Amino acid sequence: MSAIFRLANRQTALKFKTNFGLLSLVRPVTLKPQPAPKEEDLGHDARNMKLGRPQSPHLTIYAPQMTSMLSISHRATGMILTFYTIVLGTGAIILPDSIETYLNALEEYHVGGVVLSVGKFILAFPLTYHYWNGIRHLAWDIGLFLSLKEVYMTGFAMLGLAYGSAAVLSVI
Amino acid sequence: MALALILRNAPKIQAGAFQQNLIKSSSILMVRDLAPAHKQHSTLSKPSHSLIAPQKFSQVRLMSADHSKLWPMEKALSVSMIALVPAAIAMPNIVFDNLLAVASVIHFHWGLEAVVVDYARPIVVGNILPKLALGLLYLISATTLGGLIYFNINDIGIGKTIRKFWAIKE
Ligand code: HEM
Repeated sequence: MSAIFRLANRQTALKFKTNFGLLSLVRPVTLKPQPAPKEEDLGHDARNMKLGRPQSPHLTIYAPQMTSMLSISHRATGMILTFYTIVLGTGAIILPDSIETYLNALEEYHVGGVVLSVGKFILAFPLTYHYWNGIRHLAWDIGLFLSLKEVYMTGFAMLGLAYGSAAVLSVI
Repeated sequence: MALALILRNAPKIQAGAFQQNLIKSSSILMVRDLAPAHKQHSTLSKPSHSLIAPQKFSQVRLMSADHSKLWPMEKALSVSMIALVPAAIAMPNIVFDNLLAVASVIHFHWGLEAVVVDYARPIVVGNILPKLALGLLYLISATTLGGLIYFNINDIGIGKTIRKFWAIKE
């Protein structure tokens, strides 16, 4: 009986040239306990790239939401304010005339009240937005307003303050 | 290079009680942050969640250097700017102007540093570009600070400039 089995196994093994099949059922198997292979300590990015995961939050996958839009706007307005600061700081060094001269020249042009108001709004809004939203960020940092409902409520309040104060500044 | 020194030594200076408060509250933030997330995304609290070993959550992965001392300084500076920015525009004087120059430049330097670290990741753009970008940022920040302080001392200063522009009505 066992001889038949052994022969049969050899047959199939030869036929399929493989270790699988019935052969594996007959051969004694010894299980040796082994520690799980140590997980390679890739960084967060490398691990996600290896797994083929897209960058999160992925802009073409994730729908725009108020939360994420207000967040990226804080970064954008911070960068606009930085631009103002760099222009003034480097301008003071490299411009041939004093900043005051350019302001006087602008006054001489009489560009008109409407243009000035629109211009003031465009200049002021990044500051009012970053200012009020900066306070919102700092409130989060001390643990306030962190429920989703409060995040939305403070978001709307911040937008009201930002547009409102920019509007007031644009007409004074 | 005073700026570089300030920035490099900033984390070493202990901000005392304020820092402790912020660190404490930041841990509150983590705890409170998790609670609503469970409620809103019910899939997250399914059993699969418990497959992840709890110690994985407390594993801290830092993007660059140790940021735990720099963070409270960044926040303290931001808090001070809530008062400083309106004050410097409302009552222009050389002290406010110079404080605003130093505060703004350090604040935007740290801010843009975070932007560079986020977007110019070595794993994506290689090792050289991030270093180049940060070097350029130091150059820009130092030049801007120098220019602003020069402007505050030798010219009309930041606060008066803003007021003068805003006074143009026609
Ligand atoms: C007026 C008072 C201001 C307050 C209260 C304030 C507050 C803040 C806060 C809290 C953050 C960090 C946001 C976060 O947690 O991700 C931030 C980021 C930033 N701020 Fe300000 N800021 C102010 C003024 C300014 C000014 C005048 C500038 C430019 C000269 C500026 C440029 C930036 C930049 C570039 C960032 C980085 C954006 C990012 O990393 O996403 N901020 N601000």
